[in-house]
Amino acid sequence: MKLSVLHSLFDSAALGALAPLMALGIGALLVLLAGLTPLSKAARGVLVAATLIVAAALHGRILLAEQVPGVVLDGVFVADRATAMWGLIFIAGVAVTWLFSRNYYVEDASHQNEHDVLLIATAVGMSMMAGARDLIVFFIGLELLSIPLYALAAFRRNRTKSVEAGLKYFLLGAFAAGFFLYGAALVYAASGTLSLDVFADPAQRARVLESPMALVGVAMLAASVFFKVSVFPFHVWVPDVYEGSPTPITGLMATGTKAAAFAFLLNALLALPTGTAAGLAAIALLTMAVGNLGALMQQDVKRMLAYSGIAHAGVVLLAIAGAVAGDPQPHGALQAALFYMAAYVATAGGAFGVLALLESDGERMTTLDGLRGLGQRRPYLAAALTVFMLSLGGIPATGGFLGKYLVFSVAVRAEMIPAAIVGVLLSVIALGYYLRVIIAMWMQAPDENSPLASTKPIAISARLASTACVALVLLMGLLPRWFLEHM
Amino acid sequence: MHYDLLLLTFLPLAAAFAIAFTPKGAEALQRYLALGATLIVAVLGVRLFLGFGVEGTPVERYVFDAPWFTLPSSYAAPTQVRFKLGLDGVSLLMVTLTAVLMPIVILSTWGHVHKRVKEFMVWMLVMQTGMLGTFLALDLVLFYFFWEISLIPLYFLIGIWGGERRLYATIKFFLYTLAGSLVMMIAIISILWTRGTSDVFELINLLCRAPLEEQLWLFAAFALAFGIKVPLLPFHTWLPDAHTEAPTSGSVVLAGVLLKMGTYGLVRFCIHMLPGAAIAAAPVMMALGAIGILYGALLAWAQDDLKRLIACSSVSHLGYVVLGLFALTPAGINGGMLQMVNHGISTGLLFLLVGMIYERRHSRALDAFGGVAVAMPIFALFWVITTLSSVGLPGLNGFVGEYLILYGSFQASPLWSIVGLSGVIFGAVYLLMATRRMLFGALDKPENRELADIGAREIGLLLPLIVLVVWLGVSPNTFLSKTQPDLEQIHLRLAEARRALLASAEASPTPTRPDQEQSR
Repeated sequence: MKLSVLHSLFDSAALGALAPLMALGIGALLVLLAGLTPLSKAARGVLVAATLIVAAALHGRILLAEQVPGVVLDGVFVADRATAMWGLIFIAGVAVTWLFSRNYYVEDASHQNEHDVLLIATAVGMSMMAGARDLIVFFIGLELLSIPLYALAAFRRNRTKSVEAGLKYFLLGAFAAGFFLYGAALVYAASGTLSLDVFADPAQRARVLESPMALVGVAMLAASVFFKVSVFPFHVWVPDVYEGSPTPITGLMATGTKAAAFAFLLNALLALPTGTAAGLAAIALLTMAVGNLGALMQQDVKRMLAYSGIAHAGVVLLAIAGAVAGDPQPHGALQAALFYMAAYVATAGGAFGVLALLESDGERMTTLDGLRGLGQRRPYLAAALTVFMLSLGGIPATGGFLGKYLVFSVAVRAEMIPAAIVGVLLSVIALGYYLRVIIAMWMQAPDENSPLASTKPIAISARLASTACVALVLLMGLLPRWFLEHM
Repeated sequence: MHYDLLLLTFLPLAAAFAIAFTPKGAEALQRYLALGATLIVAVLGVRLFLGFGVEGTPVERYVFDAPWFTLPSSYAAPTQVRFKLGLDGVSLLMVTLTAVLMPIVILSTWGHVHKRVKEFMVWMLVMQTGMLGTFLALDLVLFYFFWEISLIPLYFLIGIWGGERRLYATIKFFLYTLAGSLVMMIAIISILWTRGTSDVFELINLLCRAPLEEQLWLFAAFALAFGIKVPLLPFHTWLPDAHTEAPTSGSVVLAGVLLKMGTYGLVRFCIHMLPGAAIAAAPVMMALGAIGILYGALLAWAQDDLKRLIACSSVSHLGYVVLGLFALTPAGINGGMLQMVNHGISTGLLFLLVGMIYERRHSRALDAFGGVAVAMPIFALFWVITTLSSVGLPGLNGFVGEYLILYGSFQASPLWSIVGLSGVIFGAVYLLMATRRMLFGALDKPENRELADIGAREIGLLLPLIVLVVWLGVSPNTFLSKTQPDLEQIHLRLAEARRALLASAEASPTPTRPDQEQSR
């Protein structure tokens, strides 16, 4: 196997498949080196932007090419249109986070360079997770994403909350990684391979899943991935970690990590026996309930979005449950998850970004009372946040609506109509708290006693990011044809 | 391809954008821009109405159709979702009503909207686009788009410019309606997947032959969404709150047009698209309608707040509409369609009038008034005409609609028709009593002596509606004749469905609904 890997590295298909990851990796190293030179912040910014653009272009090339590289490197990695689209989603998430973080840090601004390197590294990790056809490759991707995120969560090292968030995330993340490895070992013991291809062949799949050892292994793997996507009952870490992390990073955790883990789940779909569909649907609905009810209780908008992120994970999981139950549309769940997560990256990424702009270096101004009267004082930010809230709530004309439509389509096609109806009714609860944000911004007068949101001018990078997010959300909602055809 | 409908629908939205970019203080400019845009739409709407159905007018003139995006379907070809707007007999009256009512509503805001005028006009215009789009959409997904989007403007209108408990009312309104809509979304998903098209007319052809079981669950999902919007009896509690807290203009639009989205949906989708289920469910729907008439009237009787009283009367009046529609007889459906327009005009007028007196007196409690007719004779005249139209005096609009509905429903179910008839009496009781307590009696409260009568602007905005009240009362056929050809299509479908039900009843030992069949 090892020799053939070396051989196939020179294969043009493999090079094409790995080119976006290589571009990101090389870019990250260049940015790291640039930190040693007297280059200005703007010049280094150009370098980061160039890295992301080149990687996005390379993903785009795969997406639009006649011939995709497909499975490469002896079957451990796949690069097709779906992974290319996932790659674009990850890069978009990283780009949004990066743009919003440019002027976010005050005390820790001198470490911006390291911050950017870590950010780019997460993009490599996420792309690896999405393309992995092998448990070890996935694990390397997972750690490539997680370890930089631990550091990023604790990036404001002088703030207890931030350090606490980093530590919590690290400890629980390490635990989840342990679960993953142990599960992988059990699957290996039962099947003799770490490749997901075992599950592609029906006969082999049935034989492997017969063994209780493999089932326990699959369950442990699932638990570990569920931890990353923050699905009930593995969601308890989310509110604290999201609240304590620097806000743009929270956006990345909510969007990117979730998207990457879902990408893998969709790849590994066949490993889940059909019998688990009902259980998955139940977990999905419970996740939605827990997330939405939790969010309803919050006064802090950042914490509220954290809980809402849990609920959104539940929604996507419902699509996966539908696919496991036997969706007659072959790639229906994949399309639904891609569209949903793409819209979610723009929406939640934008929402966390706007919240970041309203803070002034960690002085938290993100309570509902702090948002009062924002529509009068900062109409553009308030309008952007309004669009994001409506999209999170799945109101038509935003990307969130069509995402929701596609996800529930999977459930309906798989004949899980009761689950779908419970699901949509749970999403009515969600509107209860999204609307409260809009109420605070537009319908309530500023409260004299509560601190006003930051009034510092908004940097161009943040303007660009928030405008792009709004544009993308509306584009996906109003003219979704291109997205639907390529997903 | 003709662009009339596109222009009609999106002109308000374009005007909203234009207003959004006007400078902050330029209130006069914003008001006149909004008025101008809605006036142009009104002219376009009236022109479409007059031209509609005239011999030699090509049907394509009333359709705008462009491919939009595709969704998965159970067939080899995906479902092509289209951006298809079209005018037919079912939507004609609603579209015209929306177009005509809006400039009047905008003009009424001169009196009661003094803060954040710019945003108000923007939301009003966005709402008009939403409403017109809902009525004109001939694609199921497009319909759903407009249906849900039209929630947002009213949410803002109530939430920013509403009364004391506006935040509670606006959230309640939004969540209630949304819950219904989302269940409808599940039905739409299922239809698009199994039938492979989202074109409303194609679906009407396909679904009317669907098995009764499928029709019934689809019917339940659609009827839930529309029933909440109408509002039908058990789901009506959001309406009095929303109406009471909304600003005058918001109430007028809510009563005049938004609620009609629900009844329109019942005609277009529940009855026309799913005739078998409509026949099966008709007894239930008629019962809900008739009980709603009575219950709404009793609720209204018990109110002390004028605006709440009218809001409750809306529940009652829309009960008539549902009763008439689900009689499924020609007279009943005609009456229901006409009553939709009537209610829009009469209740719109009542809300406008209440708004006018509230602007002067800053109270809506019936006890605060008495003898207002002496202080405000012109106002009193308008009020009395409107009240009489609302209680169904022959010669005014309300009579024709109610008569047709009661006649049509008597053919289908004498019981519910009689229950509805008693509602007419209660309707007269509460409205006339309110009139007496407010307008007549002694002018004994000092605050009421100083009340100024309504001015030229107010008379100007009431007059067109009064003209319609008389016109509809004297010559309803001007309106009914335009809707007739399309309503006949519905009756053909219903007849076909009845035959199919009868055939299946004969085939199986247990008859499905013999009572239904006997009654016609």
